[in-house]
Amino acid sequence: METDELIINMGPVHPSTHGVLRFRLRMDGEIIKECTPVLGYLHRGTEKLGEMKTYMQFIPYTDRLDYVSAFPNNYAFVKAVEELAGIEVPLRAEYIRVITMELNRIVNHLVSIGSLLMDLGAATMIMWGFRERENALQLFEKLCGARMTFNYIKPGGVREDIPEGFIPQLNEFLKDMEKRIEDYEQLINSNEIFMMRMKNIGVIGAEEAVNYGMTGPTLRGSGVNYDLRRYEPYSIYPDLDFKVCSRPEGDSYARYIVRIDEMKESLHILRQVVDTMPEARIVSNAKYGTAPMTGTPSAVSTYFPRIFTPPAGEIYSRIEAPKGELGFYIVSDGTTKPYRVKIRSPSFCNLTAIPKMVQGLKIPDLIAAFGTIDVVLGDVDR
Amino acid sequence: MTSADELKQKLPAAVVSTGMQLNKPMAVIKKEELLNAARIVMEMGFDHLSVITGTDYTDRFEVVYNFFSYEKKQNLVLKVITDHDAPEVDSLTSLWKGAEWLERETYDLVGIKFTGHPNLVRILLPDGWVGHPLRKDYDMNTEQFVTMGEDGNDIVSTDGKNLLRRK
Repeated sequence: METDELIINMGPVHPSTHGVLRFRLRMDGEIIKECTPVLGYLHRGTEKLGEMKTYMQFIPYTDRLDYVSAFPNNYAFVKAVEELAGIEVPLRAEYIRVITMELNRIVNHLVSIGSLLMDLGAATMIMWGFRERENALQLFEKLCGARMTFNYIKPGGVREDIPEGFIPQLNEFLKDMEKRIEDYEQLINSNEIFMMRMKNIGVIGAEEAVNYGMTGPTLRGSGVNYDLRRYEPYSIYPDLDFKVCSRPEGDSYARYIVRIDEMKESLHILRQVVDTMPEARIVSNAKYGTAPMTGTPSAVSTYFPRIFTPPAGEIYSRIEAPKGELGFYIVSDGTTKPYRVKIRSPSFCNLTAIPKMVQGLKIPDLIAAFGTIDVVLGDVDR
Repeated sequence: MTSADELKQKLPAAVVSTGMQLNKPMAVIKKEELLNAARIVMEMGFDHLSVITGTDYTDRFEVVYNFFSYEKKQNLVLKVITDHDAPEVDSLTSLWKGAEWLERETYDLVGIKFTGHPNLVRILLPDGWVGHPLRKDYDMNTEQFVTMGEDGNDIVSTDGKNLLRRK
């Protein structure tokens, strides 16, 4: 019997593509012969917008890249600007930043695992994940008034000090979360159907993963034990004790386990940060740049010039975001606005490998493998 | 000795100058020698191509490659300067598969051609889009509208009159 090849369009509006992503699949029967992702449905020209905004004005736009974990986006951009302009940050601000980023890592992995399981047909995990996420979002709301797009981290520090009652609530969250993660593991890890769907699906070896430019949990799932927080440390990560989680298998199951382990490590980091947080100012009080100062200098510790001019130069600065290496390449020409902003988003680069990973598999396997890559389309299309 | 100097020692003909990109060693490479230099960079252990950036400086384009070595934990930056009229550099897709989309994106938004790229088409914007948005001379005042044609492909037009479905 002869069969014809068939082109199937999956997306751009499809519940399993986590946004507006389209796959063009060349199918031979049920087997995927070729998978071509078609991007750009959520392209908003963020990089061009960056050239028209001052450094401070651009921070809210970074929130809208990876909207599931916006704090690391804020931080990645601010870190690049700080390194470019030579801005020093008070220690307490760095502690608050790490709290927000690690909380956001937990939130990101909860959403990632929840939606992965839902795509596979198990609805429990997304309910559980969003239940815990709600507690974290309430913490964010307490901190900066927003639940998803924060605009909280800014050059020189953070916008507000942590409010009263934040730390006890955080401690409660940490205590609760510890038990919850155990629940997840009991529910999912050795579930037979889950293992059948995930093991040996979407396999990518270490060398290939590096060659494709994969980073973050997807790379660590392939056995490359690399984490920027450990090996190119920034903020206060050198002082913190944490493990870099990795698995050698390189399949979807390994990537899932890495995410679960990372949540535990994030809890461990958060506990250390809460215990050792110093009492001090949260925003740098030095004067930066040559632009006229706007705003009123006052005794309030949150003052920092809204307009400042980093010296001319270029920088590429990167952090370990929940999804992988998030980098900002900024060219400054010595004016108040960046000359060029380039965003190296982890989702975009991780997605490069999906055609290779799913070749020869079936469509449900594509969904499983794609779920463990964990992309957010705002981050892919920018 | 920085990794940029090491590259200069190995391939003196290709390196125009060495310096720093703020805190990372950087080598400016002759345009014709990019692929050779990249091959040596890979042999030196720089296995991770982090990002490719094209920047329009109105009189020239600069293409910047940020490399990282997982083993040595070192950074290296390569920079290629190309002329403004017909910007074209060699593609690194034969060495790094991850370069494929990064180069397509640079082509799409900045308009730099990568010779030897297997599939150099737009990636974020639809085919038929006029101009490359991240160029400094990009026309920001002309609106472009995208609709879907009968065959499912995107159609770009500058005429939006018929798109508003008013009675």
